[in-house]
Amino acid sequence: MSETVAFTIDLDGRRQIGLAEADATLLSLLRDGLEITGPKRGCNQGVCGACTVMIDGWPQRACLTLAAACEGKSVTTLEGYAEDPVMQRLARAFAEGGAVQCGFCTTGMLISARKLLEEEAKPDPDRIRQALSGNLCRCIGYRKIVEAVTAAAEGAET
Amino acid sequence: MPAFVQRPTRLDEALALKAAQPDSLYLAGGATLVAMKNAGLIEPESLIALDGLQELSGITRLADGSIRIGAMTRHRETAASPLLTGSLAMLRQAAGKIANPPVRNMGTMGGSLANADPGADYPAALVAAEAELELMGPEGERRLPISELFLDWYETALKQDELITGIHLPTPSAAPSHYRKLARVSGDYATASCAMVLTADGGLRVAIGACGPAPLRAPAAEAALCGHLHDPKALAEFSQSLVDLADPIDDVRGSADYRRKLIPRLISASLDRLLQEQPR
Amino acid sequence: MTAPDEGQVVGRSLPKLENLEKVTGRAHYIADLSRPRMLHGAILGSAFAHARIKSVSIEAALAAPGVAAVITGADVGPGRMGAFIKDEGAIAQDKVRYLGEPVAAVAAETEAQARAACRLIDVVYEELPALTSPEAALAPDAPAIHEALQDYVKIFDSGSEGNLCSRSRFDEGDVDAAWADCDLIVEGTYTTQAQAHVAIEPCGALAEVDQAGRITLWSANQSVFRVQANVAEALSIPMSRLRCLTPQVGGGFGIKMEAHVQPIVVALAEKSGRPVKLILSREEDFEITRARHPFKIRIKTGAKKDGTLLARHCEVLVDCGAYADDSPGVLGYSLLMSRGPYRIPNVRAEGQLVYTNKLRFGAYRGFGNPQVTFAGEQQIDEIARRLDLDPFEMRRRNMVVAGEPWFLGGEVASCGLAECLDKVEQAAPPLPPAARGKRRGRGLAINAHISGLLGTGAIVRMLEDGSIVLNTGATDIGQGSDTVLAQICAEALKVPLDMVKVASPDTDGSPFNWGTTASRVTYTTGRAVIAASEEVARQIKEQAGAILECTVEDLELRSGGRVGIVGSDRELPFAAVSGRAHWAAGGPIVGHNTLVYDGKTMDPKRGSALGLPFPQIGVFSFIALLVDVEVDEASGQVEVLEAWSACDVGKAINPKLVEVQLEGAFVQGLGYALFEEMVWDGPRLANPSLMDYKIPTSLDAPFALHSILIEAPQPEGPFGAKGVGEIGINPVPAAIANAVAMALGRPLKDLPLSGERVLAALMESEG
Repeated sequence: MSETVAFTIDLDGRRQIGLAEADATLLSLLRDGLEITGPKRGCNQGVCGACTVMIDGWPQRACLTLAAACEGKSVTTLEGYAEDPVMQRLARAFAEGGAVQCGFCTTGMLISARKLLEEEAKPDPDRIRQALSGNLCRCIGYRKIVEAVTAAAEGAET
Repeated sequence: MPAFVQRPTRLDEALALKAAQPDSLYLAGGATLVAMKNAGLIEPESLIALDGLQELSGITRLADGSIRIGAMTRHRETAASPLLTGSLAMLRQAAGKIANPPVRNMGTMGGSLANADPGADYPAALVAAEAELELMGPEGERRLPISELFLDWYETALKQDELITGIHLPTPSAAPSHYRKLARVSGDYATASCAMVLTADGGLRVAIGACGPAPLRAPAAEAALCGHLHDPKALAEFSQSLVDLADPIDDVRGSADYRRKLIPRLISASLDRLLQEQPR
Repeated sequence: MTAPDEGQVVGRSLPKLENLEKVTGRAHYIADLSRPRMLHGAILGSAFAHARIKSVSIEAALAAPGVAAVITGADVGPGRMGAFIKDEGAIAQDKVRYLGEPVAAVAAETEAQARAACRLIDVVYEELPALTSPEAALAPDAPAIHEALQDYVKIFDSGSEGNLCSRSRFDEGDVDAAWADCDLIVEGTYTTQAQAHVAIEPCGALAEVDQAGRITLWSANQSVFRVQANVAEALSIPMSRLRCLTPQVGGGFGIKMEAHVQPIVVALAEKSGRPVKLILSREEDFEITRARHPFKIRIKTGAKKDGTLLARHCEVLVDCGAYADDSPGVLGYSLLMSRGPYRIPNVRAEGQLVYTNKLRFGAYRGFGNPQVTFAGEQQIDEIARRLDLDPFEMRRRNMVVAGEPWFLGGEVASCGLAECLDKVEQAAPPLPPAARGKRRGRGLAINAHISGLLGTGAIVRMLEDGSIVLNTGATDIGQGSDTVLAQICAEALKVPLDMVKVASPDTDGSPFNWGTTASRVTYTTGRAVIAASEEVARQIKEQAGAILECTVEDLELRSGGRVGIVGSDRELPFAAVSGRAHWAAGGPIVGHNTLVYDGKTMDPKRGSALGLPFPQIGVFSFIALLVDVEVDEASGQVEVLEAWSACDVGKAINPKLVEVQLEGAFVQGLGYALFEEMVWDGPRLANPSLMDYKIPTSLDAPFALHSILIEAPQPEGPFGAKGVGEIGINPVPAAIANAVAMALGRPLKDLPLSGERVLAALMESEG
């Protein structure tokens, strides 16, 4: 049994300190140590994508990342994007476009979509399907999620 | 007690840490290791993270034109590398078919090879590319042809405390290559895969993945096929030689019988595609 | 809310009420909740599929770090739960019946400590032969899985004996005599596999016991009332001791309708005296909850030369798993649906449901309908092919129309099936030729599904300022029922949507609602919401009449929350009438309504039934699905290129949410049709993880999914609405199979249509 230790991480733009077991994953640290509940534990195996967060600017699995390996790295969850205009457009497009059902995959899905719009201003549906292929959704059938990302990208002009 | 995750910044430091803590494990991208830990399959005492080692990062063209891929290179970088063209395009394609984008942002080529999952994508592509591994261990550096890495199911020729530091690839030629992956869904481990290069002398280099503990390759049969790519009988004989080498298992991805059936069909379909691509 | 919305709420694709919480990561699910001094629970699963428990030693676990309580079968008493047959305790006692079945549970300071302590519990088993198929379990010398089956309390009792859990047989016409009149008879045996629900949120619960022994239980569920009933039965406690609540639910599809870990969590909280939360790992969610039933279906259909269907005989053998759960209902329902939406005068449908040593199979979107439709709709195509009829024409010639009875005599009051067929046929362009190395096919299937069943209610309260709180007890599992019910209420009261807030289900304060299941919430609860809203309207008018000194008949509701005199501009805001009601006369305005669905499943003059689980089942929605596929000749893998799904939903209260139901169900059906399969290696589930059990990703689902909504209003439905939650999945395996059959020139009768199976058929066709 590992002992509990204090981790200091650069989270959502500020240094934050949370308690977790020494061998804890970033997901455990976020959820249990810091009460950041946006990232979800859907499988703890890196498959479902519900825990996806941005680490050093890249969407990664919080469940496959050790908290101890995050020292000196920057971690951003959905909460860190509260003031981000691109994320706000995505969030609105998801909410209004039928791209939210149970919502359990939504936070991770938005992180992946946010990265895509950073890489490509006007991705086509196939590119969006590629970029979201690591975020499983069991409710929606994906089409309306792809359309919401398209709408958010188009909304950038207006 | 040392920290659970130690993060050396130099290779010699990493090796020294490993020597001092025999029960520790090297941590590459974590995509597989942490998943195994979460599942309770491994309970490492401590981990030596390799992501601070500059020597292990990046894809570079060496002076002789050959390519070195640092072992800590993420699948994302490999999948996007402009250096992997022609005869090495199949490696780029293989990297792009691993798991999914967030996992490709984490996983590394060295980590994947050390894990030696027969359903992984790199082994077949690297065998067909005739890659050579750069290894570093307590006894120093050595090179190992990729075809000698995979000894048995999940068992490699890596020695105690030895680390993959890089992957060397011959200078890419314009010969077209292709990586064909068959999987139940996008991002699954392969049910079977086929990496193929059309060589300049009218022959093929082919490696079949996920049909045994190691990728299948038949150099003698390749030599016999050379110059007879359009002869269906010769191609069938070539395919059969790979089927004969296969040692597949039944698992949830498909039966051994299915995998054997797939080998000649994947070869034919890949060849068909490459012949269409080939500049005339 | 902006002005144009007023009084025009129904029929509009308004965003779901809780979406803002969800897109900012602030929506809270069961795993996100915590209570002061909360412990974490973990479960020890049995190491054998079938064994007697000789002893359970918990001393080492109790002494382990952080452990506060350990429970075993000895702690939970003799209570048993079960929707049809009370055959299941909270934790195994005396015997285990499937591998992984809970035999003990631990509450500790952390989840890791609880899991570690579970591994210290020593259970001694006496292994019994594991029965892993219905055939094996029906063998004369098979050991009984439930020795005390005859003693169990049964809500539904139809032939339970030995390992036979139940049987059903329904007859209409004279099927034995009808075969002689048929010009063509087709016969076949079809098999379907177990499918896992894979709601992205795993099951979990949190329980807290107060000093008086009253229990508050939060859980991921599809019905707080089923949670209450199951826990009360399993732990032998009065229902009133339990208050059941639900946070946001991360998908269900059936897995969260009946109990999962709630009884165990309550027992841990009682034993430890502290709040306990237990969230299943993904692996446990696969291993110990429930899944879709594997079916073996023998089916025979006869027709005249012109395609007129004359007779069908469908016989099913259903794997029940270790506990009955909803299985007798699934068996009966599948048989009721096995005729399909066709006018067939002579039908016999019969089946057996058999206990085995696997996890329980239970409710899963479709409830037995996808299985029999996979078989039945392939036979319709086979008949059409052999009679050289177009698949559309074949179906048009035989499909039911409004006014014609369902199998056994249930009323079909509305039916838009003809329009569904027309629309998908018109929407699809000619099938493009296949690319090199590929084959193409197009497949059609049609289907009907009920919405209805059992009790529901609604309470509509007007607050002092005239705003509305709607309380139905219906659990929104993400599909949007809170929004849809609020839209119905808002429309009925002519107020904008933001004047209606929806109360979260609470067994203390909500009217009974059987559950979010059977595609029923919009239809049944919607009816109660309308009736309760009308009662509120009546009270508003009474109050307004007193103030404005006119009769109730003189008054009308006006959009925006006002009531006025017809033909006059004299009017009052709701706040004025509600203020009077609260403070002066008449009492606060509350409308309520409850109902039990009471349409009859069967007309005894038309048919006979043995073991009919749902005597009052529901009203019918209809669907036509057309699918284009491409088969890869190298691997046999099937790719779905495009799909057109036209569904008669009576009235789309919120069209976008209806489309999402169809699209989501289609992709779930695509996984079921092509690659999803729970595989057992002997008694052990071989793929209980998302590494090994695969569901469709965004790259496996076609973008070109077209939803077409048809509205044939159901007379008593809310604004004409019928259900849509399940129907979208029912025709998917059949339509894909019909498309693959076209591509290959031969039918495939076993699900899933894996690359391996399709390649074998393709190689046969190559010779």
